[in-house]
Order: sequence, then C-alpha cells, then structure tokens
Amino acid sequence: MTEAAAMPQATTDAAPAKLEVAGLTSGYGAIDVLNGVSFEIRPAEIFALMGKNGMGKTTLLKTILGLVPARKGEIRLDGRAVTGTGPAALIAGGIGYAPQEQPLFQDLSIRDNLRLAMKSDRHMKDGFERAFGYFPFLAERRQQRAGTLSGGEQKMFILARALMLRPKLLLIDEISEGLQPSVVQRISSVLKQERDEFGTTILLVEQNLDFALGLADHWAVLKRGGIDDAGAMEAATRERILEHLRI
Amino acid sequence: MLILDILTTAAVLFIVSAGLLAIFGVLKIINFAHGAWLTIGAYCAVIVAGLGLNPWLALPLAFLVGGALGGVTEHFIVRPLYQRPLDAILATWGLGIVVGQLITLWFGRDVQFTPGLLSGTVDVFGISYSLYRLFALGAAVVIGLGFAFLLEGTRLGLTAQAVIMNETLAKGLGIDTGKVRLATFVIGTGLTALAGVLLTPLTSVDPTMGVAWLIGAFMLVMVAGSSFGALAVACLVFGGAQVIVSTFVSPILGGITVAVLCALVLRISPKGFARA
Repeated sequence: MTEAAAMPQATTDAAPAKLEVAGLTSGYGAIDVLNGVSFEIRPAEIFALMGKNGMGKTTLLKTILGLVPARKGEIRLDGRAVTGTGPAALIAGGIGYAPQEQPLFQDLSIRDNLRLAMKSDRHMKDGFERAFGYFPFLAERRQQRAGTLSGGEQKMFILARALMLRPKLLLIDEISEGLQPSVVQRISSVLKQERDEFGTTILLVEQNLDFALGLADHWAVLKRGGIDDAGAMEAATRERILEHLRI
Repeated sequence: MLILDILTTAAVLFIVSAGLLAIFGVLKIINFAHGAWLTIGAYCAVIVAGLGLNPWLALPLAFLVGGALGGVTEHFIVRPLYQRPLDAILATWGLGIVVGQLITLWFGRDVQFTPGLLSGTVDVFGISYSLYRLFALGAAVVIGLGFAFLLEGTRLGLTAQAVIMNETLAKGLGIDTGKVRLATFVIGTGLTALAGVLLTPLTSVDPTMGVAWLIGAFMLVMVAGSSFGALAVACLVFGGAQVIVSTFVSPILGGITVAVLCALVLRISPKGFARA
C-alpha cells in the first residue's frame, strides 16, 4: 500500500482512534430512538453492536457521524468531545462510514461515486488505486453506473469507498446483510487485515451473529434504545447474544 | 422570418428562466425574487450607462452584484427555509417586493433607457434581421452549454447532482451540502442578473419589469422540472406558440400564451416535460 503522504484525504493523525459514547439520546421528531446509550471502543478494536431491527442501531451510527443531532449525552473521539460536529468535519477528521440504506448513487458511475467521497479531485488517482486494490473487479467497471453492481458487489464497493480514505474509525452498518457466505468471508478478511495493518478501530453494526463473532473483540446488544448487555468475546458469548436476539 | 422569431424568442425565454431553473433544480426552492434579480441586472445596465462606461461592462457587473446579493439572501433568508418550501416562496416573494421598492426609492418610478448593446440588422437568408436578437440566440446557447459543462464536467456540478439525488448520502460522504446550496444560489442569481442586462435592449427598464418575466419563467420551469434540456424544449415549444399567436392572432393574446399553455400542460401531465 502507498504511504501516508499519498493519501487522498490524510487523516489528522495515524494513531488508532478511541470512541466513547456516554448517555447518548437522539431520535426523530417527537420520538427518542436512543435513550442514554453508553459504551466505549478501545483503539484498534473491532466492536460488534448487535440488535434486532428497529432497536436504533442505524440511528446510533448516524448520531455518531452527526447526521442525526444528539439530544443528550456526549460522543468523544480520542478523548475530545465531538458532539454536535457535522459529518463533513468528522469525516475529514478520520471517520469512515459504510451506510446500509441507499448507500450509493445508482445513476452515477462507480468512478464518480468514489470521487464524491473524496474531499477534492487532487489525489483522485491515488484514491481510485487504493479502492480498486481492495476489490480489483471495481477497476474494470469504473465507468459503469453504480446501479449495475449486484447486491454483493455494492457492499464491496461501499466498503472500498470507506477504506479508500484510510479512516481511523470505521462505522459499518449491516454490511453482511443478504450476502453469500463467500462474499461475507471476503469482507471479513478485508476488515481484519485493515485493522491488523493500520490499527483501524471498527464499529460493526450487525445482525449476522457468525460474521460478528468471527471479527469482534467486544460486543454489545442494543435493545429498546439502550445497551442491554455487553462483554468481551468468550466461549459463552454466542449463546448469550442469541438469547437477546430471540423474539 | 417566423423561424428566426421563434428561435430568438425561445432564446430570450431560456436566458430569463435558466437561473430560476438552476436554483429550483438543486435546492427545490422556487425563488420568487427571481423577477427582482432580473430588475437588479437591468439597473446595473442603467448604472453603467449613467457612468458613461462601455455598456458590455454591465454583464460582469450584474453577475457580480447579483451573485453577491444572492449569497447574502441565501445565508440570511433562504437557508432556514429549505424544509419549508411554501414559506420560502412567501419570503422570496416579499424580498422581491422590497427590492422593487428600494429600486424605486433610488431610481424613481420612471422608465429608464439604456444604450443598445448591439444595434443594426444583419442579412440572414435574404431577410434583414435584428443583430441583437441573433446575439441573444447565441447567448442562450452559450448559457445552456455552460450549464451542461458545469453540471457534467466539474466537481461542483457532480456534488450538486449528488445533493439532488440523495442529500442524506451526500452528507454521509462528507459533502458540505450547505456550501453546494450557497454556490448554486450565487450562480443562479448572478446569472439571473446577467439575464436582466441582456433584456434591456428588448424591454423597458422600470422597477416592476421583473414581475411579468417572473410568471413566464416560473411556468416554464414548472413544465421543465429540473432539466436544462427540457427547459430548452419548453422554451422552443411555448416561445414558438407565443410568436405564432402574436403574429397571426393578436400580440396581446401572444403575451399570455406561455402562461396559459404551461398551465394546460401541467393540468394534463403534472410532471410536465421532465418525465421523458
């Protein structure tokens, strides 16, 4: 991989990031989707946030990124409060985001989709090279509309787009959803390698237990807008989480 | 002769509507102060003439003045109203009235005259035709191509498209959507003021001149949706109808042709020409 100097959007510092969320409340309209969520992710850790649909997992990621305003509580990145900071500044500061819903511009080319994730066109070539390095099939199809990618290819594209900027904290929203096991395997190994090589801190929002268990160092279960249970990965973790995910 | 009339009328309609469409296309806001910006541009021509300068200088001056005032307007008036498009219509309508009154205070209610940018006629296929109207046709093509390039060929255009398609995703990728909106508003209003200068040889300049143009431009943009191609087609079709009605029926009926036909089209097909 290329050196830090060639990064399209060099992150402010190379040290792995630490994320702390304390008493976070946020939501839409009159409804609080999150109600006092607290957890902590250590530098270079992969953290799996599990939970059933509608428990506020996506809202949590959006609140961390500043897309949804926090109503109460605090978000700290490397000990510095970033609550209320907008997404543009947070992304420039080294947060990467792989959204779940409508994650790409269907009618624009793959190339333009990647361009839009860069801050300027100055280091466009380096960025493309890096993105294509993760999943080479993207290089051949760069001129095609992003909408022509299959479901699995789209997920790989979204991951490449986020990793292209070499974030120090990566927020990933249900990337394994609806994917074949072989693609899940591939995404899993890319994420693991990224963490091992660059110390990327990763917050994984998931419903796929096996995928999450295979990657994460710590986990938490989000239920009705709050953290219901949490812990380190151990032998009994699987049963414990399954208990929470059962209806 | 008729064909030239149709083409040049369509060109003038396009020039007048382009700035409104740019703002509507990206921001989904109808800038009802559009007429006021046409007027501001026209008075830039009056000022330049009053100072005895080259009348062509009015074009860059109008773009700068219009764009600067547009930037201030976006920041203080339009920005809080993106989620309330109806309120934005009221606010910009009110702003248009205020601008009209300020111009009246400053310059008086009288009709102003400006020196023509280009005078004389030129022979086209054996017919002698107004040189300025032909120039307007060229200007419309340049503006149309300029927008096509801005939208398809520049990073600002790409981010504007992204904001139009999916603003949440654009934000999630770190695009400063506020800046894109500001830039669009500045370009749209700057262009509108420039259009005001281009109108001066064709119409009288007075503080309320923009209102008549606003209605036509508004109807055309409603029909065109947010596509410059559709706007060009709409201008040709309705401009053509206007010329034909004016020539063969009555100039007074011709004046309202655009508005009536646009209303009819929207009645039959609510999405206008944008559906294709």
